[in-house]
Amino acid sequence: MLSRLVFVSANGLKSSGALGAGLVQASRCLHTSSQSLAPVPPLPEKPGKVRHGLIPEEFFQLLYPKTGVTGPYMLGTGLAIYMLSKEIYIINSSTLVALTVGSFFIYGVKKFGPSFAEFADKLNEEKVAKVQEVKDLAVTGLAQAIDSEKKEQWRVEGRSLLFDAKRNNVTALLETNHRERLHMVTNEVKKRLDYQIALQNLHRQMEQEHMVNWVEKSVISSITPQQEKESIAKCITDLKALARNTQAKATA
Amino acid sequence: MAARRVALKAIDWVAFAERVPPNQRGMFNALKTRSDAIAAKLASLPEAPAAIDWSYYRSAVARIGMVDEFEKKFKALQIPAPVDTQTSTIDAQEAEATKSALVYTEACKARIAQYEKELDKLKNMIPFDEMTIEDLNDTFPETKLDKVKYPYWPHKPIADL
Repeated sequence: MLSRLVFVSANGLKSSGALGAGLVQASRCLHTSSQSLAPVPPLPEKPGKVRHGLIPEEFFQLLYPKTGVTGPYMLGTGLAIYMLSKEIYIINSSTLVALTVGSFFIYGVKKFGPSFAEFADKLNEEKVAKVQEVKDLAVTGLAQAIDSEKKEQWRVEGRSLLFDAKRNNVTALLETNHRERLHMVTNEVKKRLDYQIALQNLHRQMEQEHMVNWVEKSVISSITPQQEKESIAKCITDLKALARNTQAKATA
Repeated sequence: MAARRVALKAIDWVAFAERVPPNQRGMFNALKTRSDAIAAKLASLPEAPAAIDWSYYRSAVARIGMVDEFEKKFKALQIPAPVDTQTSTIDAQEAEATKSALVYTEACKARIAQYEKELDKLKNMIPFDEMTIEDLNDTFPETKLDKVKYPYWPHKPIADL
């Protein structure tokens, strides 16, 4: 009963701006219009603020203008005393059980709550990270694919170079062939002419040699034996005179 | 027999080498070595043959008229230029290559468009924190569980879990 009152007033209080820092209270106006929202607005990060784990903060803010800070506490205490004294709430064994279980429960939540919350958050984060990784890989892969396609297109543009090279080769080969032919003709003609000249030179040389030999032979055959003896004797006397002269020069 | 002017186009081998894809590098190297050999051979031959000194030969050779005859015949000789059989083939090859290059470029462009579309889809998708399972199945169709083929939870073969 009281909780319904709280919820109705909470909606009205959202615009009062009296909310604590760090709240992400997006206005989740679901089912307000006939169209459904897509994408669904995100869930708030943190739950609504609650005091003592049970009573929402909005209740305290509701009573603050009229009764100040201690108002809700006085209300609570007064209500508790009223219910106990008028025996609207009866203390029996269930009370003890409730108190014990409640204390254990509160102790458990306080001790293990944060670590369990962390564990649950980690599980969720791992799932998200996995999917995120897949998405990142896909994005980088696609970007790379686009780059390589563009590169291939650029490569294809260079095909004219290949054909230019081929045509160059053909021209060069033809030109080489032509020049070789020219050179060959010139060389052949030169060789023929040089052959003629060499032939002539050979003839002349042979004639010269033959003549020289013939002249020598005839001179030698014309020397008589008597002339030979005379010439040898003259050589000997000349040699003796020469020897005497050199001896005289040496001693002098 | 006048010497011919050579009409060789200067080829930028460096730029050419950049455009060669890695899987055709062997062919490119073979072409380059061949071209270099041909160019070297061409460069090694002088453009015109050495002129023959007719006056010297006229004075040296004893046979009268032989030199004159040779000179006359030599000057009248025309060496025909070699016939070019390959250029038309090369031109035909080039036309074909242009056509196939066009086709390839078109295919490339289509692929690029497809990739860009997917890239846009991925870039503009809602963040994972704000997705529902239906949104996930829309963005990544492969995550959709086939409830017809595997009607019982977990709707995929146990090995895939």
